Amino acid sequence: MDLIRIRRREGLAFDITVRERTLSCDMSVSDGGQGDGFAPVELFAGSLGACIAMVVQGWCDACGHGGDVGVDVALELVPDPTRIGAIIADIELPASVPADRCDAVRRVVEHCVIQQTLKQPPALDLEVSVGS
Amino acid sequence: MDIKLGGKDVAIDEDGFIQDPAVWDEAVAKDLALTESVTDMTEDHWKVVNYLRQYYLEYNMAPMIRKLCKETGFKLKEIYDLFPSGPAKGACKVAGLPKPTGCV
Repeated sequence: MDLIRIRRREGLAFDITVRERTLSCDMSVSDGGQGDGFAPVELFAGSLGACIAMVVQGWCDACGHGGDVGVDVALELVPDPTRIGAIIADIELPASVPADRCDAVRRVVEHCVIQQTLKQPPALDLEVSVGS
Repeated sequence: MDIKLGGKDVAIDEDGFIQDPAVWDEAVAKDLALTESVTDMTEDHWKVVNYLRQYYLEYNMAPMIRKLCKETGFKLKEIYDLFPSGPAKGACKVAGLPKPTGCV
């Protein structure tokens, strides 16, 4: 896995760079940023949604169900401490997928790495140092 | 600060949520909707707003988004089509509920 670098641009805006591709991350104006990028929780939810979309698209393609998969995701934040309390995802299948295959798609979604990671949280190993 | 909503002076917070849910009525809701760029409160808008309002009055909290979708019959994207700021910051504001906690 390549190193993912997060470096400050200005204010609360940070660039996330991996393999020479960069995403902008920032908070909204009302939350102290400039709204010049995705909020971290939006990236988190977007990551889950993209993972689900890719896994389900792969299944559709392999099964010969032509068309595009779409996923809509929303978050609910809860307090004390502030965190994501619920993630809601709606998966829209291509029209060529028979309705009775929806349960199969639910099983396919279990192959999403991000979803599995949420179900079995990883160890978080932090080390803090002072820059030179 | 106070602003004119539904023909009366109503206290709102810095994000435009009304401070006292008891002052809410349909006229206030229509003016709150304008602040959310919803210029026409359709039957679908009212279905969402009335459900949120009813749930809040019964449980003193907003429903989970999935419950809102199931009870109103709208998909997630349809809720966002109705209220571009989303169910929390858009629909709840129009329904006169308190500002939701969080940073999104």
